[in-house]
Amino acid sequence: MGHHHTSNHIIYGLYTDETDLLKAVQKAKDDHLDIFNVYTPFPVHGLDPILGLAESRLHITGFVYGLLGTLTAFLGMSWIFTRDWPVIFGGKPYWPVPSFIPITFELTVLFAAIGMVVTFYTVSGMGPGITNPILDPRITDDKFCIAFNETTATDGDINKFKSFFQETGASEVNSKEIDA
Amino acid sequence: MDIKMNYTFDGRLKTVLLVLMGLGAICLAASFFHNPDGYHSRFWSNFLHNSLFFTGIALMSTFFLAVCITAYAGWHVVFKRVWEAFGQFLLIGLILMGIITVGVWLHAHHLYHWTDAASLDPSSDIFDPILKHKSALLNPMMYTILGVGMCAVWLLFHSRLRKFSLAEDKKSDPSDFSAFRKSKVWAAVFLPIAGFTSAGAIWLWLMSVDAHWYSTLFAWYTGASWFVSMICVTILVLLYLKSRGYYEFVNMEHFHDLGKFLFAFSIFWTYLWFSQFMLIWYGNVGEETIYFRERYDNYPVLFYGNLLINFVFPFFVLMRNDTKRKTGTLILVSLVVLFGHWWDFFLMIKPGVVHTAHEAYAHAHEGAHVAIKGMSFPGLLEIGIFIGFLAGFLFFIFSRLTKAPLIAKGDPYIQESLHHHT
Repeated sequence: MGHHHTSNHIIYGLYTDETDLLKAVQKAKDDHLDIFNVYTPFPVHGLDPILGLAESRLHITGFVYGLLGTLTAFLGMSWIFTRDWPVIFGGKPYWPVPSFIPITFELTVLFAAIGMVVTFYTVSGMGPGITNPILDPRITDDKFCIAFNETTATDGDINKFKSFFQETGASEVNSKEIDA
Repeated sequence: MDIKMNYTFDGRLKTVLLVLMGLGAICLAASFFHNPDGYHSRFWSNFLHNSLFFTGIALMSTFFLAVCITAYAGWHVVFKRVWEAFGQFLLIGLILMGIITVGVWLHAHHLYHWTDAASLDPSSDIFDPILKHKSALLNPMMYTILGVGMCAVWLLFHSRLRKFSLAEDKKSDPSDFSAFRKSKVWAAVFLPIAGFTSAGAIWLWLMSVDAHWYSTLFAWYTGASWFVSMICVTILVLLYLKSRGYYEFVNMEHFHDLGKFLFAFSIFWTYLWFSQFMLIWYGNVGEETIYFRERYDNYPVLFYGNLLINFVFPFFVLMRNDTKRKTGTLILVSLVVLFGHWWDFFLMIKPGVVHTAHEAYAHAHEGAHVAIKGMSFPGLLEIGIFIGFLAGFLFFIFSRLTKAPLIAKGDPYIQESLHHHT
C-alpha cells in the first residue's frame, strides 16, 4: 500500500487451480523467491500461513465498533427514557431494560458492520472514484496469480522466475507495467 | 499408515463408567427414599429431567445427520459414526420415557398435574377448567400414543440412516451411490417429521409439567438446548477418542466448525430464551407471566445463572477465532455449557413439579408445608444422578462405536471431510 510515484514492472504467472497455487507459493517460499503479491478470485484457505501474513486485526476493530453500538443504543435509550423525556409504555417502568435489548443488539450489529467495511476500504485504499491497477481481469474470475517484481531484478532473477512458473505448472506467464 | 479403523472399548474406561453409573444409581435410589412430599417427586423429577436431556441429545444427533445429508454437507463425514452412535441411544430413550409413561398410568408419580382425575371432574371442589379444556391432548392415552410413538418414529428413521451408512462401507463398486441416494430420501423426509414431532414430544413430556401454562416458542427453545448439549458431548467424545489415538484425521478444522456450532447455537438458544421472555414480559398476561414470576421469585440464582452460564460464558470465550481451535478452551466450554443446559432443564422441570406435588400434598394434608430439598436447587444427589446418566450415555455410545468402523470410508463425501478447511 505504499505510495511511490514510480511504476513497477511485474512478471506474473496464472494458475487454474487453487491447489496448484498453494503448492507453487510453498515452493517459492522454500526457494526464497521474493513474492510481490498473490491474487485469487476468492479467499483461498491455507494461503495466509504459507505467505506468513500476520493475522488481520480487523476483527478487533469490529469488537470495538460493536461495543460502541451497544453503548450508543443502551445509554442513548436509557437517557431518553429516564432523563430527557420519560414516557410510560404499556404500564412498563420508565427504564424497561428488556425492551432495549433488540435495539441494542441491532445497533451493535450495524455499528460493527459499517465500521468494519469503512475501515477495510480505508486500509485497502479502496473507495468511490479510486481505481487500482489490475494485472489481469481474469484474477477476479477464475485464475490464481503469483506476481514477482522484476523492476530491479537481474537477468538471473528473471530467469529464476520464469523457470519457477514452468516447474510449478503455471498455465501462462505475462508481464506488465503497473503504477506502484 | 497405521490407522485405527475399529474402536476397542477398553476395560479401564468400562470400569470407570460402570462405577459412575453405580454412583448415579445409588443417588437415584437415595432420591427415591428422600421423600418429604410422599409422592417421590424428587426421584421422579430427576428421572424425567435426565431421561429427557439425554434422549434429546440422541434425537438432535439424528436430526443433524439428516440435515447434513440433505444439505450435501461433507465436513462431518469423517466422524459421523459418533453421531450414529448417539442416535442409537434413542432406543434407551424410548425405554426411559416408557417408564415415565407407565408411571402416568399407575399414578406412581405426580409429575403432571393433568393426571389428577379429581381436577377434571366438574363436580369436584378442586375442579380445574383449564386442565379440563386441555384434556383432549393432555391425557394418559395421548401421552402414551404420541410420546412413545414419536420416539419410535425417530428410532425408525435413525435405524434406516444407520443401515444405509453401513451399506456404503461394504459396497464393492466405488461409484455405487445407491445407499447414499436412499439415505438422502429418508433424511429429507425425516426433517419435517423431526421438526413437528420434537415439538409435540416437548409439549407432552416437558411443557405439560406446567400444565396451565403454554408458550409457542418453548419447543424451539428446548430444542436449541438439546442441540447445544449434543455439540458439547460431540466435542468431548471426539477429543477423548483422539487422545486415545483414534480419529487422527479429525483435526482442528473439524473442531473449529464444531466450536462455531457451539458458539452460534448458544446465541440461538439465547435468542429464543429472550424472545419467549420478552414477549411474555411485554404482553403481561397473567397466565403467561406466572412461569417467569415463579422462577424469578423462587429460583433467582438458577434463573440468572442460566443466562450467565449458557450465554455470557460461551459467547465471550468462543468469540475469538483461536479459542475454537484450542483443545483446552473447547473442553472447558463444552463441560460448562453441557452442565449449563442440564441446569436449564432443571429450571424447566422442577418448579412445575414442586407446584403439582405441593397442590396434591395440600389436598391430602390441609395446608401442610412441603420441603423442597433437591427441587429448588440441584443437590449432591442431582449432580450424582447427572453423572450417572452421562456415564450411562457414554457407556452405551462407546459400546455402539465398536460395532462399525470408525471412519465411513464408503461415504461419497469422505474425501471432502478428510481435506476440510475452515
